[in-house]
Amino acid sequence: MRTKRCENEVWKSNKESDLVTAPAALNAEAPVIEVMGLHKNYDKVKAVNDLTMSVRKGEIYGFLGPNGAGKSTTIKTIMALTHPTSGVIKVHNTPVSTKTVDIHKDIGYLPEKISFYRNLTPVQTLTFLCELKGADPVVVDQLLEDVGLGDVSDRKVGTFSKGMVQLLGVAQAMIGDPSLYILDEPMGGLDARWVRIVRDKIRELNERGATIVFSSHILSEVQMLCDRVGIINKGALVAEDTIDNLSDHLELRPRLEVTITGLDGAVPDGIDAIEGVWNADAEGDKLTVSCDASSRIQVLVALERRGLTIKNFKTLDPTLEDAFVELISDHGGEQ
Amino acid sequence: MIEFGPVHTVLKKEVSDNIRNKWIILLTIIFAFLTLAASVLAGGGSLGGLEETVTTLMSISMILIPLISIMLGYSTISGEDEDGSLAVLLSYPIKRGEVFIGKFLGLGIVIALATAVGFGVSGIVIGLSKSATPWGSYAAFISLSVLLGLLYLSVSMCFSALFKRRVASLGAGILLFFWSTIYGTVLMGIYFATGGSMSDFTSANPTIPDWIWQSIYFSPMDMNQTASMLVFNIERAFGFAIEVPSFVDLASIIGAHLVWIIVPLIIAYLAFERRDI
Ligand SMILES: Nc1ncnc2c1ncn2[C@@H]1O[C@H](COP(=O)(O)OP(=O)(O)O)[C@@H](O)[C@H]1O
Ligand SMILES: [Mg+2]
Repeated sequence: MRTKRCENEVWKSNKESDLVTAPAALNAEAPVIEVMGLHKNYDKVKAVNDLTMSVRKGEIYGFLGPNGAGKSTTIKTIMALTHPTSGVIKVHNTPVSTKTVDIHKDIGYLPEKISFYRNLTPVQTLTFLCELKGADPVVVDQLLEDVGLGDVSDRKVGTFSKGMVQLLGVAQAMIGDPSLYILDEPMGGLDARWVRIVRDKIRELNERGATIVFSSHILSEVQMLCDRVGIINKGALVAEDTIDNLSDHLELRPRLEVTITGLDGAVPDGIDAIEGVWNADAEGDKLTVSCDASSRIQVLVALERRGLTIKNFKTLDPTLEDAFVELISDHGGEQ
Repeated sequence: MIEFGPVHTVLKKEVSDNIRNKWIILLTIIFAFLTLAASVLAGGGSLGGLEETVTTLMSISMILIPLISIMLGYSTISGEDEDGSLAVLLSYPIKRGEVFIGKFLGLGIVIALATAVGFGVSGIVIGLSKSATPWGSYAAFISLSVLLGLLYLSVSMCFSALFKRRVASLGAGILLFFWSTIYGTVLMGIYFATGGSMSDFTSANPTIPDWIWQSIYFSPMDMNQTASMLVFNIERAFGFAIEVPSFVDLASIIGAHLVWIIVPLIIAYLAFERRDI
């Protein structure tokens, strides 16, 4: 019914090479995280299916995809929490495994589903984690203050709300001032005020030089913060680029929505052959045509000529959100 | 390979977390109260029959120590995996083996503390009211109880590493708790079905066949109880005369305890290492 317009390939932008500066060129050679041909099967479910991606030093990388796309599985494999079925992951050029935990000294990780020990206070919790990471526990009070948990530092974590636990999760990720942060849905389940705290924190850490990867299923979160995005769907990367380049590559076009009496879900012959028309879709009496602005009239005229009764029409401006939805629906996302 | 630093950190955390666990505190209080009551009641005020006291203490510890151990152990891996705290812990520079050993030792210390408090109270009462208290035997008895606690901890931690879900490891823990009961019943069933009778146990001169004695190694509670009887030279329990044959000695029972502790720990470690969090 719907004509495909996206190719199933990862775009590697050429445009970026124009902008490359000397240090960036160095970084391009040695990504902080490199995922190569990752597969992860759970019984019959292919959670990750031949995923290749890389995160460069100093960037904020958005890992975007609908629920169930395989973001958490990929992240857990990077953290050596989950064993890959096949493929290689390198962090700072070291292949990761359950034995290479020393890498974790320099990583701040926030799992998607997080919890702490119920009977300990946040201070005791962070002190314990500082000791594990070889960091001086004097920073504990400041960390709690930073995420707005200064007032509850003596309460048992078991009495915390979900949002407060999440903030404690952000605080623990900052222990030891790591140069790499891997955050799995850091804003998931937080209310607006706390989302802001987390977003500001991500910016601040990045400005201080940290590389940040975070996953999300919400485009606007990613759009707001990221230098680059990797879009994942059904376990595979469908695009990896800067937000700007992605918009260009998607060739976002305005759409024309025409209501035609008695259309009954059939795209009239020849409409998608008109010059400037990208694709045409029919659903009930509604015909949606993506086309260049200059082709709109031709489309309407063509419909008239076929003797169809145009009841109404309107034009729709494209957004990146549309592109994202389109992209993942072309690949059969679960969203 | 295994570094002491991270092990020690996890151990400390396990102790300070679990001595605040209200269920463990409650069970320990019940434990202390029951042993106190047992030692007072058994002596009728005078505390004459230490054997009587010890057999009662034994049956109390046979229930409470496995219960405490299983409660501490069953969800260490599966529970923390399910709720998400294990993902945090393993994202730190610590190996899975170090996490596992730290947890086992930390929880082992909590069990030893609970046992010391549970028996300490009655120990003091007995000690004060009797002139010749067999302190050595009493200490050996407490050590055997701690060993039993470590055994149940090891097996329940093994379940927590083998199963994905917390409920599954809880189910296995409950089965483990009743294992000795089930085992004893099955054993007696076999014995009676093959021509044995109850009078073999209750007669003045009991004739318990060797194979039943040999099979106690499969039942932690039975072998631990037998060890305690050897320690105190008890020859009567719950009205039955029991003579432990010479081939069942303390050394082999302790050896069997160690096998029961080490084998599940190794299985658990291998399962944990392969586990997807
Ligand atoms: N432990 C697991 N066992 C079985 N299937 C799993 C497991 N974890 C994830 N999956 C499946 O793998 C797919 C990817 O999941 P996930 O990585 O959590 O996606 P995302 O984080 O993008 O929402 C989903 O279909 C999910 O149901
Ligand atoms: Mg996820």
